[in-house]
Amino acid sequence: MHDVVIRVRGLRMAYGPIQVLNGVDLDLRRGEVFTLLGPNGAGKTTLVEILEGFRTGWSGEAEVLGENPARAGDAWRARLGVVMQSWRDHPRWRVRDLLAHVAAHYEKPRDVDELLATLGLTEAAHNRAGVLSGGQRRRLDVALGIVGRPEVLFLDEPTTGFDPEARREFHLLIERLAGEEGLTVLLTTHDLAEAERLSERIAVLAAGRVVTCGSPAELARAVQVPSLVRWEDGELETADPSGVAWDLHQRYGGPVPGLELRRPTLEESYLDLIEEARGTRETATVGGTR
Amino acid sequence: MNATPLGLRRGWTEQLNLWSDRKELLNALIGTVGTYVVLVLFIGGNNVPGTSVSMAAFMTPGFLAFAVFSTGLTVLPTLIAADREEGTLMRARTLPRGIRVYLTGRAVTTLLTIALNAALVLLVAVPLAGVAAPATPARWFTLVWVLVLGALAVVPIGAMIGSLVSGPKTAAAMLALPAMLLMLISGVMFPLESLPGVVRGIAQVFPLYWQGLGLRAVFLPDSVLAAELGHSRPLGRAAAVLGAWAVGGMVLAPWLLRRVRGR
Repeated sequence: MHDVVIRVRGLRMAYGPIQVLNGVDLDLRRGEVFTLLGPNGAGKTTLVEILEGFRTGWSGEAEVLGENPARAGDAWRARLGVVMQSWRDHPRWRVRDLLAHVAAHYEKPRDVDELLATLGLTEAAHNRAGVLSGGQRRRLDVALGIVGRPEVLFLDEPTTGFDPEARREFHLLIERLAGEEGLTVLLTTHDLAEAERLSERIAVLAAGRVVTCGSPAELARAVQVPSLVRWEDGELETADPSGVAWDLHQRYGGPVPGLELRRPTLEESYLDLIEEARGTRETATVGGTR
Repeated sequence: MNATPLGLRRGWTEQLNLWSDRKELLNALIGTVGTYVVLVLFIGGNNVPGTSVSMAAFMTPGFLAFAVFSTGLTVLPTLIAADREEGTLMRARTLPRGIRVYLTGRAVTTLLTIALNAALVLLVAVPLAGVAAPATPARWFTLVWVLVLGALAVVPIGAMIGSLVSGPKTAAAMLALPAMLLMLISGVMFPLESLPGVVRGIAQVFPLYWQGLGLRAVFLPDSVLAAELGHSRPLGRAAAVLGAWAVGGMVLAPWLLRRVRGR
């Protein structure tokens, strides 16, 4: 079991009457980039914060680096890197001062100036954290998360506010860290392209449960949803869109007014899966009636 | 690096960051020192009725005690509440020994602010207001340990309050009244003799009373001992009570802060 870095079984957590996590199972192997995908309110952040050791009151089993996060100490914490959502801490500190200060908490930290260069922060090194742009601030957060050479890195929506180039740079960095240094990354995002690009495996979390888990290709297959055929007088979801189009042609005896045919994107497939999990999916409306 | 030196360095950086903001620096000083300067220069020359002690000499220990007290119990909690709101405290929780480093840092900034306040009060008191500087090395020593121990006694309490209130504005609003009440009953403004026994008993539980007592021992002559409870200033007991608050608080505060959620 030594190469399982994070192990979760039957994890449940409720805030008062609201069940946020409903029996989550997960296994993360050393050196893999694992994405937790899900809409807002799916319990992603709660799950991550439990694993980071910031929440108590859950039930079930959770192990990170062989320890129970709720009870693990400083030696354990030194092996984790945490990038939470929307940090705006230490606004008065200068970027380099803050990074050096955080680095001093660890035994063998990365070189601060090298790290600043890697994340494109060299020019901002003497700016105060409070005046950084959104993308710069996020890169500083990532720098703070990895400066201690963690074995496990938690990234909660890390690329929010990145421009495409910064996003690409960031993806390359994560790939490098996971590939060369064996860093295990648990990433949460609602950006499907990012999940597909970065991770070997994706788990979709919806309504407090892992509804599917596997490689991006497996995920795409698992969530096949019907195509949508729409025309002036109605619309129909079907697995056989061209057959439906043909039938409509027959019915209208010629061109179908306003015919539209849409195959689902991965994103739609994913959204459909989410809705299904929520139990709010409406049954397909059958066309022809008004 | 060990938590203590790292915390000391953190506090120093934090203080430089704060002082580089002139508005913050003025805010930190104007309240206590400003009021002191105005009062001392206008009415400091008069004697306290029925004594040979000048108002300035009488007010000096009171304002020193207040500087410690207000910095520890209102400025510090407000800073911590702001740190919590900004996520600085949460950041500390993500780091190994982060809370201890953070608290050490905050203790350093509080002690530095108190030291600056005390130095300014003394700089006004001795040359400008004619207050006699502590007469003997022993009194200087008392001045230093009372200020330091008094500060250490209130810093953990301030940290705990800061971790419990919901935000910096709440902290400021919530703390003003209790701080003022405690000021009034602790004998730093006027002698305790005139207050009912129950109130005197309550006052003696809190560190402010003992701090004021220690500071009066530095600045006031024995000729006004009659104004003290029991006509004496038991410095040993002052040290014991302040020490107990300091130690108790240092054990409780990190425990509490690790449990507080806040981003």
